[in-house]
Amino acid sequence: MSGLNIRRIDPFRLEIARIPPMRTTGLVYANRAIERTLGDVQVLQQVANVATLPGIVGPSMAMPDIHWGYGFPIGGVAAFSRDEGVISPGGVGYDINCGVCCILTGLKVEDVRPRLERLLTSLYNNVPSGVGSCNRALAVSGKEFNRVLELGARWSVKKGYAPTDDLEAHEDEGCIAGADPEAVSAKALERGQPQLGTLGSGNHFLELDVVDLVADSEKARELGLFGDQVVVLVHTGSRGLGHQVCDDHVHGMISAASRHGIALPDRQLACAPVTSREGREYFGAMAAAANFAFANRELIAYLIRGTFEQVFGGSFERLGMRMLFDCCHNIAKMERIRWEGREIEACVHRKGATRALPPGDTRLPPRFRRTGQPVLVPGDMGRMSYILSGAAGAAETFFSACHGAGRLLSRHEAKKRARGRKILDELLRKDIHAMAASRATLAEEMPEAYKDVSDVVDTITGAGITSCVARLRPFAMVKG
Amino acid sequence: MPYTLIDHTADTGMRVSSPTVEGLFVEAALALCDIMGALTPGKGETAVVQVEGVDREDLLVRWLQEILYLVEVKGFRVAKAGLMELTDTDLRGELRGAYTGESLLVEVKAVTYHNLEIACIDNAYVAAIILDM
Repeated sequence: MSGLNIRRIDPFRLEIARIPPMRTTGLVYANRAIERTLGDVQVLQQVANVATLPGIVGPSMAMPDIHWGYGFPIGGVAAFSRDEGVISPGGVGYDINCGVCCILTGLKVEDVRPRLERLLTSLYNNVPSGVGSCNRALAVSGKEFNRVLELGARWSVKKGYAPTDDLEAHEDEGCIAGADPEAVSAKALERGQPQLGTLGSGNHFLELDVVDLVADSEKARELGLFGDQVVVLVHTGSRGLGHQVCDDHVHGMISAASRHGIALPDRQLACAPVTSREGREYFGAMAAAANFAFANRELIAYLIRGTFEQVFGGSFERLGMRMLFDCCHNIAKMERIRWEGREIEACVHRKGATRALPPGDTRLPPRFRRTGQPVLVPGDMGRMSYILSGAAGAAETFFSACHGAGRLLSRHEAKKRARGRKILDELLRKDIHAMAASRATLAEEMPEAYKDVSDVVDTITGAGITSCVARLRPFAMVKG
Repeated sequence: MPYTLIDHTADTGMRVSSPTVEGLFVEAALALCDIMGALTPGKGETAVVQVEGVDREDLLVRWLQEILYLVEVKGFRVAKAGLMELTDTDLRGELRGAYTGESLLVEVKAVTYHNLEIACIDNAYVAAIILDM
């Protein structure tokens, strides 16, 4: 494969041998089915490119939902020593803290079906979605907006949009420490301010799922999951604010990389030492954008809870609506990791990957100590999604796992294949009700545009990184 | 319009060409606007774009990023693009169009630097630009 030396080391792992200028090996989590989806060399070359960056600790990794990105592959995980390593805006991506949250309900699918049409229409009307979506009703500005950037989900709780109980159900309690609103440009503020409380477009969605299979009844019970239960998944991020923060800092780091003598195999990997001025500024801005995303998902959860109250009557608490978990997909975080017997302070980049802490990990709040951290793995519109939990084997990925199914087809190819088809009707035949702001988005996001998420889950659980708690089946969704 | 779409798994891309490097910048601007649904026949208003970069590839990304900002945030819709100045590190360009704020077809998050190179092949300047969608 174009100069790369790739070998299978077990049923769930491929290794890319270290060839200069790589500083370490590549490690790709892939069973045979996933390996067949890797296609051409570009995506594996991206894993190898990340391995060339200074201060990388352990291998350059890719989760089984890996696909061709820009700079880092989507599904990429890499840790860099705080003292000798780098931080890369391209290693986080433009949609900083794009992530997923799962809201549980106490309702069973048969409770929802009689009011499904009203519920779906109300969700579509109440949660702004689509290209350029704004939410003037929830917009804040000036110092108050800076508080959003500093506090994340905690701001939503302070303002009464979310119950305090939600905070423990967030990665890092919904607030990345070290956010610096001053490092966020005026343009980023301008792009982001009107978009707080909006879903956006593309692969972002709001989905109603039913718990289709309980794989681990003890963990499911502990997490509040049961058969035929209705749960809500929300996928969105930091909107235009995050996009602009990344833009601003990639540009700055092209010069910084050159000044610090860092050779870049791809400019999108532009980076600077973690402890440099450029590195610190980016981290402060990125954390602010990540906090915007936490607040954004909480505001969407607030709109969803309000919609359920309108449609079913009673309070959201009586409807059993509580946050199961909210996690980041695109992030760089300072974490203590263990490698070759040493404890290292590292900047762990997850680009299209999610954290996965095992049972007993002291970073977990009490509610997850016995189960491990919930790992939410949404699939495509027409197949399954999964709730996994972190397992002991996750130590080898610096406690990281897959974030979804991973794209298989380009958007262009998906639209070509959708020509002449009615995707909404195809979904309806599977008893899946969808509303979308754009037909083009539906075509781009059709089920066959994605890998089979079951292959992704088989790989990550087979490798011992996670264990399966429950499987979800989608039955209604709003697409941006 | 002299551009073709590039099949990119996560996002999308555009391959642009022109007999001149200035023309390449103009065609890239129009291609981006075409993908976003930001082209308009009206050209009563003007927006000036001025950027600095470390080289021409950097300038190309920054020129397109500025246009993306004008389209997404300011609601500018583009009829015509032109360059007044292009060196290795500075660009000054002008867009003709109108601030209509009409809805867009797709949301482009960003213009990336991924493997970007301006090459001269068979007397034409070409570049493949990946957009984050």
